Amino acid sequence: MARTAKQRTDIQIAICGSAGDGTIAAGDILKQAMAKAGYNVIAFDVYPPEIRGFGKCIARARITSEQVYSLKSESDCLISLNDSHAIPHVSEVCKFGTVIYEDTPVSTVGEGAHVSSHLSPAHLPYGVAFREISERITSSARSRNIVAVGYLAGLYDMPAEVFHEVISGKFAGKSKELADSVGAAFDAGFQTGVDTFRLHFDRIGASGGKGKQTDLVMMSGNAAVVRGCLDAGIDAFFGYPITPATTIMEMLAREMPKHSGRLLQTEDEISAIAATIGAGYTGARAATATSGPGLALMTEMMGLGAMAEVPAVAFVSQRGGPSTGMPTKTEQSDLNLAVFGVAGDGQRIVLAPTNVEGCYKCAGKAFEMAEAFQTPVIVLLDLYLSNRYEAVQLPSKNPFAENCSKTPRKNASPAEYNRYKLTSDGVSPRAIPGETGRMHTVTGLEHDERGRPSDQPRIHEAMSVKRHQKLLPALKHPGVTISKRFGDKGVVDVGVLGWGSTFGEILEAMIEARKEGIRCSAMKVVMLSPLPVGPVKAFLDDCNEVLVPELNYEAQFASLVTGATGRPVHRLNRVRGTPMSVGEILDQIRQLVGHSGKIAAE
Amino acid sequence: MANTEHYVVIGNGVAGSEAARHLRQRDSDSRITMVSAGKLLSINRYELPKIFSSSADWRDFLLHPPEYYDEQKISVRRNTWVSHVDPTNKLLMLHHREPLSYSKLLIASGGGRYIPESLNQFKNLIAKFGTYEEAKSVCDALPRRGHMVMLGGDMIGLDLARSLVRNGYKVTVIGEDHLFWPHRVEAEQRQKFVAVLQDMGICVRTDVAITSIQRGDRNRPDRRIILDNNEVIDADVILSFCGLMPSLAFMAGAGVDIERGVLVNPQLRSTDKNIWAAGDVCQIWSPEENQYRFYYGWKNVKKMGRIAAFNMTGADESIDTVQNEKLVTTKSGEIDSPFWQYG
Ligand SMILES: Cc1cc2nc3c(=O)[nH]c(=O)nc-3n(C[C@H](O)[C@H](O)[C@H](O)COP(=O)(O)OP(=O)(O)OC[C@H]3O[C@@H](n4cnc5c(N)ncnc54)[C@H](O)[C@@H]3O)c2cc1C
Repeated sequence: MARTAKQRTDIQIAICGSAGDGTIAAGDILKQAMAKAGYNVIAFDVYPPEIRGFGKCIARARITSEQVYSLKSESDCLISLNDSHAIPHVSEVCKFGTVIYEDTPVSTVGEGAHVSSHLSPAHLPYGVAFREISERITSSARSRNIVAVGYLAGLYDMPAEVFHEVISGKFAGKSKELADSVGAAFDAGFQTGVDTFRLHFDRIGASGGKGKQTDLVMMSGNAAVVRGCLDAGIDAFFGYPITPATTIMEMLAREMPKHSGRLLQTEDEISAIAATIGAGYTGARAATATSGPGLALMTEMMGLGAMAEVPAVAFVSQRGGPSTGMPTKTEQSDLNLAVFGVAGDGQRIVLAPTNVEGCYKCAGKAFEMAEAFQTPVIVLLDLYLSNRYEAVQLPSKNPFAENCSKTPRKNASPAEYNRYKLTSDGVSPRAIPGETGRMHTVTGLEHDERGRPSDQPRIHEAMSVKRHQKLLPALKHPGVTISKRFGDKGVVDVGVLGWGSTFGEILEAMIEARKEGIRCSAMKVVMLSPLPVGPVKAFLDDCNEVLVPELNYEAQFASLVTGATGRPVHRLNRVRGTPMSVGEILDQIRQLVGHSGKIAAE
Repeated sequence: MANTEHYVVIGNGVAGSEAARHLRQRDSDSRITMVSAGKLLSINRYELPKIFSSSADWRDFLLHPPEYYDEQKISVRRNTWVSHVDPTNKLLMLHHREPLSYSKLLIASGGGRYIPESLNQFKNLIAKFGTYEEAKSVCDALPRRGHMVMLGGDMIGLDLARSLVRNGYKVTVIGEDHLFWPHRVEAEQRQKFVAVLQDMGICVRTDVAITSIQRGDRNRPDRRIILDNNEVIDADVILSFCGLMPSLAFMAGAGVDIERGVLVNPQLRSTDKNIWAAGDVCQIWSPEENQYRFYYGWKNVKKMGRIAAFNMTGADESIDTVQNEKLVTTKSGEIDSPFWQYG
């Protein structure tokens, strides 16, 4: 049945397998194809850091005809490529959702070890001979994943052509034989899906309503960061691998040589940040990428960057902590470390994008800000955002400025040049080492305007003011969202304040609450340091109750907001390693409406 | 003492689901697993002809909502075929190579359509009507006022035929051998009942036999039937209603006595002390007739499900092997049969 324009599509597919089953590749083909067909796609992959043959991989993709902002807590369809991994996720399939699984295991399985024995009565089972079909068509079982994607596409009326395009693109560099055989595996799966009697009620028709898209790109948060870096003209990158930031370095390692950039894998995170600051000192646009444990090691150098006023960018993708914590689970518990983790009053800029497009913008703008305000800039991501895929439309014109440095006046005499000159906006003209007549001292010690060490009270006070004041104009930096309010205007029953990856779920919950007649709005805060206190206060003024959902135990953002504004907020904290569910936020909103006006400061 | 009984029921038709319901009522702690080849939870098969007169989907045919199974702690393995039974080890082997152990087993796997030997070569051109999926496919294939040809005309088929003619479709029944099955209608009575069918608007052809079935030509109905008098009948859909064949392939080599169905005593126990059978799959010993025989129809099958459950949980009840099985005409001149009494 063809989809009519008015039908709303909102289907979430989860593919679950073991590392080596091609789960992520299958999910990748699905999301690329659906984006090409004009659907909105949000996807999130979870995979283990381990080698092939171990560990669980899940690729989730939410395919919608209308804009949505997060994944759903329940999927409409689960494909099992490995039953032992998929079984715990069967309960995440919604009522009358489908479970697609291998019907011809290669050998006997234990009693209760087949996924079909774990379906709830409300699930719809589709057993398929993935392995047999793959072997019949390609003489190997390796294309089971492609047969599965084909089956899914056939079963849900998805357009085969877009899959063909994606598959040809993906295998373009490989042998024609391989590309043909993968295409044939897809077709065989597709036909099997088409021939299957459908009991489910959802369809994903030929087009998502936006028509066939050529300018929409499916990319992950980390891939968007990389695009942002490249478009901003990154010169140098230094890093040490750590989940979930590693792919930033991997992608840059492929791309930077093509753009005359340099990338070095250092021996640890301390060297990585030291080299980044060193490169920044020489005028290069330099960055590093790490996770919470790496940032912990970088704090000392971050202080040097603040004190010596050197531009540097650090992408920090959070995961479950503290310490080595939960490397493959998401969390938002490094806010305090990112904002406050430094010896002394070493404020820097911290940006936390809320979606994939935001990752691109914040990445590029971070270089501009680092230069313009002569400071380290942390772009705070998390695993859910780093690995989440969205269909984004990148600007056709490069939106990032090439050079934002405040340089010394050309004809100023050497005697006049003060590297740390106290200016009205706090930003001193910055000379690059090697510039004739711009000799100056750079040190981690407190210093005077020329950079000479000094511990005079007057100087320390003036310099402290300077280092903080100069960051405030960042709140008005052009071309980047610092904070933004959505939903109802004016006074509302409940306002939901959020940051980072959780904001997608917040938006969805707010939209649902409004449908229920609750006056509700949501505000995202992208710049965490310096905090846009004015807009946040104005938002709080409008809200009878304020809810702050975040993925940490200590309510780090809620405390930041309460500290900065002196206003009470309701906290909603979860630390399960998974994204917060829309339902949980919505429930809290409903409760707050019931309680409106009765809750005191927590 | 903890109850470790695991009752496994093969089949979620009337017999199987009725048995599971009573097993739970009589034994609240045991494990109960129903295994069904179909993808759906138990549906009301007797209402399937309604598919032609309403836009209902499969949810409207469910015997119980999904929540019922959770509440009753009855696990339902759907889309799952039993491929072999090993009574020695009390184990079923499922088609996807998973073993399933039981302590007591009920076979309630029903029967599939029977196609007479002479027509078997055309079986791919003959549609099925046993499950919701099959019924829906037939419904989709049949155009408005389309023509359905029925081979045989057993009571299941005639039930469908009467609701099709009521909904404006054309129905032709061909063949004499299985007409009114499982009723045994005497020759002198037969003409009377055929006339009643014709009055109901069903065309009955007992005078001809089928020589071949072909695909229809382009722009013609999908099927062509060539009769032994060279007459050609065009049909949109052909169905076979020539009685049922018990679904028992998985019992081959199990060592349990089988003739056409699983042989059971009036308490529905098979020759294996841990295995019972109920519904269309079993042949029950009739002391009155001194033979094993089938007892069809909703009422019988439902009763069998209950009795099997009772006896599996320690009771000693027997099925009533003497029954009124007469085909009759109603005051309004229509056919009626105890076989059609349902609800
Ligand atoms: C379309 C139709 C209409 C009917 N209408 C009437 C009517 O109006 N009145 C009347 O009295 N009778 C009617 N009947 C006959 C009636 O269906 C049967 O007498 C009764 O339903 C049989 O019930 P059952 O539980 O024995 O088997 P079924 O209802 O046939 O159920 C058999 C079950 O066994 C499962 N099964 C079979 N093989 C396997 C295997 N290897 N592994 C796992 N599971 C398996 C099947 O999936 C199914 O769930 C009708 C039959 C059909 C087909």
